[in-house]
Amino acid sequence: MSLSLHPLIVLLFFPGGLFLLGSGMFYEWIDRKLVARYQNRLGPRWFQPLADVVKLLAKEEIIPQGVHPGLFIILPVIALASALTAALYTPLLGLQPYYSFQGDLIVTLYLLSVMTLSLGLAGANSINRFSLVGATRTITQLFSYEAPFMLALLGPAIAAGTWRIAGINEFAGQSLWMILTQPIGFIVALIGLMGKLELPPFDAPEAETEIVAGALTEYSGRGFALFRIGKNVELVVGLTLVSAFYLGGLMNPLEFVLKTLGLLLVMAGLQSLFARLRIDQTVGLWWRMGTLVALLQLLAIVIGRALPGLF
Amino acid sequence: MSDQSSNPLASVMDGLKSWARINSPWVIHYNSGSCNGCDIEILATLTPRYDLERLGVKLQGSPRHADILICTGPVTRQSKERLKRIYEQMPSPKFVVAVGSCGTASGAFRGCYNICESIGDVIPVDVYVPGCAPRPEAIIYGVAQLLEMIKSGAPSAEMRKAEEPAAVEG
Repeated sequence: MSLSLHPLIVLLFFPGGLFLLGSGMFYEWIDRKLVARYQNRLGPRWFQPLADVVKLLAKEEIIPQGVHPGLFIILPVIALASALTAALYTPLLGLQPYYSFQGDLIVTLYLLSVMTLSLGLAGANSINRFSLVGATRTITQLFSYEAPFMLALLGPAIAAGTWRIAGINEFAGQSLWMILTQPIGFIVALIGLMGKLELPPFDAPEAETEIVAGALTEYSGRGFALFRIGKNVELVVGLTLVSAFYLGGLMNPLEFVLKTLGLLLVMAGLQSLFARLRIDQTVGLWWRMGTLVALLQLLAIVIGRALPGLF
Repeated sequence: MSDQSSNPLASVMDGLKSWARINSPWVIHYNSGSCNGCDIEILATLTPRYDLERLGVKLQGSPRHADILICTGPVTRQSKERLKRIYEQMPSPKFVVAVGSCGTASGAFRGCYNICESIGDVIPVDVYVPGCAPRPEAIIYGVAQLLEMIKSGAPSAEMRKAEEPAAVEG
């Protein structure tokens, strides 16, 4: 399915702007509710993320001593903007992405990394020791999960023979679900997504029992709200990407909702199942296990595609 | 406040703000020298049995993220400056709930040489929850009273303090 919309509508309502903010908050609520149910609690009400964001936006923003004020103000905006831009290339709601070109998979992955990068810069900008430790951990984690996550998303791209997200989505819809043909890639992509979103067990960068709130310790009010929304948007974009690639493509809104929510169910289960890993354990897991396994998977796909040509 | 009736948009925005504040009270917990009895009860309040997340309450580590300071203890002279600093690090609007008899009127420690009587002497307090130690239900009731106060639009202790003439430091 595809729609042709006025560019302003695309930017302000769908798929950019309002739709993404709304769905981001909705998915955050689903995530928190699921974790609460797994922990035998009732969990938050459906409007909880909205109330949190409105409250934070209405609060005073303190610019602490020792920071670069310009960077302090602009970094949350960059983070949110990059997450929103990344969404333009993904098949949200199972519709054709509005912008699509050869290689937009790489652009999307980099835009998602810009969000994490600005988080790290925001922490490093501050003189608060907790922010600094959080920033170090955020960037360390970025370097550890980024390679395997990228390799895991390259698997379907190579299988489909295209670097366009829309093309891979179409290919996934026509062939066998890639969770069956490339199970290792799926696991690496799912866990990589959890690392990207700093969800438990990969929440060492914002471990509240050790370093208060990590890189965002000094942020209050508007900046904190924008970073939270950015993270929610990243959750939606990440879920869309992984389910489009590995769960047989997203062709219509119903498929989109069912597949992304199914993936979120698994992710919430993993969140409540595992305790936090130390940052060195996270790095070790990714480089010793994740990258090697993803490389093997990639090698198998390349050989599998090359073999028929040889004989 | 006076031009609220003349501007409908402003009153809608005010309503939205106060709705968000009531439904998303994030708390930070500080022990200013209590015997830990009240702190155990506060932590029990946050456990799955009472599950305050269903009311939007979240425990935050950083004062910058919190709206409500839940504070216990008779404020020892050592922790007085820390308590003030944590309060000042919170962005406004901010509220304070003093939990336990010690926080209310120094309780069992009354007359000790090393304490500052009560939390109210150091920072402006909105709600006192008496008890030694108060049950989790009492703490939830105290926070609910505070939320009622925000809903009614009554000035918080922070606002009342700001209107007072500056006191001479003792």
